Amino acid sequence: MTRKQIPVTLLTGFLGSGKTTLLNRILTEQHGRKYAVIVNEFGETGIDNDLVVDVDEEVFEMNNGCICCTVRGDLIRILGGLMKRAEKFDAIIVETTGLADPAPVVQTFFVDPDVAEKTALDAIVTIVDAVHLESQLDQHHEVEEQLAFADIVLINKTDLIEADVIPRIERRIRAKNPYARILHTTRCHAPLDTLLEQDAFKLERVLEVEPTFLEDEHDHEHDDDITSISLHANTPLDPDRFRTWFGELLREHGQNILRSKGILDIEGEDERYVVQGVHMLMNSEHLGPWPEASPRESRLVFIGRGLDDLDLQTGFEGCKTA
Amino acid sequence: MNTIRDRKQTPFEQQAHSLCTGAFATSAVKNGSRIFVAHGDGRVRCLNDDGTVDVIEAHRGAILSLELDPSSESLISGGDDGKFLEIDPDRGTSAEIANFGSRWVDHVAANRNGLRACATGRSVHIWRPGASKADILEHPSSIGGIAFGPTGNRLAVAHYGGATIWKRQAKRGWQRTLLRWAGSHIGVTWSPNGQYLVSSMQESALHGWRLRDQSDMQMSGYPTKVHAWDWCGDEPFLITSGAAQAVCWPFDGARGPMGRSPLTRGGSENSWVTQVCTLPGTRAFLAGFENGSVMLCDLDEDGPAHILRHATGAEVTVLTATDGLEMLAIGDAEGQVLWSRLARES
Repeated sequence: MTRKQIPVTLLTGFLGSGKTTLLNRILTEQHGRKYAVIVNEFGETGIDNDLVVDVDEEVFEMNNGCICCTVRGDLIRILGGLMKRAEKFDAIIVETTGLADPAPVVQTFFVDPDVAEKTALDAIVTIVDAVHLESQLDQHHEVEEQLAFADIVLINKTDLIEADVIPRIERRIRAKNPYARILHTTRCHAPLDTLLEQDAFKLERVLEVEPTFLEDEHDHEHDDDITSISLHANTPLDPDRFRTWFGELLREHGQNILRSKGILDIEGEDERYVVQGVHMLMNSEHLGPWPEASPRESRLVFIGRGLDDLDLQTGFEGCKTA
Repeated sequence: MNTIRDRKQTPFEQQAHSLCTGAFATSAVKNGSRIFVAHGDGRVRCLNDDGTVDVIEAHRGAILSLELDPSSESLISGGDDGKFLEIDPDRGTSAEIANFGSRWVDHVAANRNGLRACATGRSVHIWRPGASKADILEHPSSIGGIAFGPTGNRLAVAHYGGATIWKRQAKRGWQRTLLRWAGSHIGVTWSPNGQYLVSSMQESALHGWRLRDQSDMQMSGYPTKVHAWDWCGDEPFLITSGAAQAVCWPFDGARGPMGRSPLTRGGSENSWVTQVCTLPGTRAFLAGFENGSVMLCDLDEDGPAHILRHATGAEVTVLTATDGLEMLAIGDAEGQVLWSRLARES
């Protein structure tokens, strides 16, 4: 019997970006939904239907030899506990501290069988402070990571900056993350139904990935900057060569590759092959035939550090059938 | 709940009393001929052998842990409402021992000497008989499980990086011994003779320590995490959930399970064992499965296990049998509870 998995939204954002404002809206608005909010030292109680749970973030290394397999131990415990409640939740929202790397939360949903069975990561929503984003990006690597992992980026406090600054901020976000949906808000006033219960982590949603391409937008100020690379191929890929290359790439460089997404045209297969990775962990599936209208082509996007050194283009070319 | 069954009911199903509570069964304890089941709606239900149920309103959220306090015969419970409660099962009333607000009380335990403990976050709070204030024991990470030793005032605590044994000494208070093992430990149990400590791990394995010399024992190979266990037989065996069959590790001899293979009993296609429970005083035990079925197994018989209850689709989350075998109870994730004495044909 398969029961519906409860969607979990991960809410990230640097200190002062507006996470608390958004959480307060979720807890006070008349949305007719029932949410559980997992926070760090929030100091508020749930109003209405919603539940607030206080946790200490605890990042655990799994003792299984996978060097980047860190998970959030507190989340495993709390999500397990929430499933025992008699009342059922429409969604769960997990807030991370401003300095947190989102990877352990995401990996928890890949690695823990109990969490994966009962809940599903829905989307990573990253809030950025329009006024301070540019200086924060230069000073705090956590901000880059939060952007790199995002499915949705909320540019908050847009009322406090000149309108012509916004395109520049967007370009910097796009350079780190070509496929996130970007919303502009003041006081986090985006409709909740554009943030919660989005299914952004479903493999099906990878099919919608249309990365934004930036011409010469390599604003490399530091060598360890997070950037993205999008690869294309019009000839089918050899299944063995692709799996070998992609597998080795994630195994050896998974620490530097934060996220990867791809829709692939595999030689001899009628269906689209979809892959999605977080560091070294990967999901893949055949997801139905190619639509009549759209051409058979492969698209693969990487977000990470030091991607230029990995020779991704050459490696990908090598997977093509002759 | 009325379900159309296309197969014959088992004798146990025919004679068992049944109640649909709609709330996840989280934990159960036995006392004398009675069984108490804790639920996700904050209530404790006392199952009586005449089929009646006494409902005790206890917590405002889910009850996360329920234990018997053997010194007073009252129940103690922890909930996601942040409360640590004492429940008087005869009066059906509860009283607050402590309130931790928005912090969950994940685990509770008590011993024969009247010590009562609860774990919340990284701390264990222990109340000694007559003491008004708790002793607070801090740990480096959140606590996965607590268990008092069979003798003396020793408390084992599972956490990230190993387990800690706390021992209370008259003059020096609580003294700790850290047993290190990399990884996250999510539960802990003592062998009945107190010579071994076994933990369950996030990595779907058990880890054991022989306490005499702190030698390590790795018990791995599980496809899922081990959430339930019980001790069975005189050797004894540690019977465990977490695989398609009940996995039973021998703890006899000087080396226990070291270098030996476990027995496997029962088994169900496409389902994991989620609960186990020894029938006290026998070498038989019950294994409950994720698909809702329950089997009666025997350490000494490797044949097909006897089916006590057929699959229902709802995970078995609670299994208990009273010491005199007057009654056994099954509870599941959908809130269904079945209880009865063992059927004669079983």
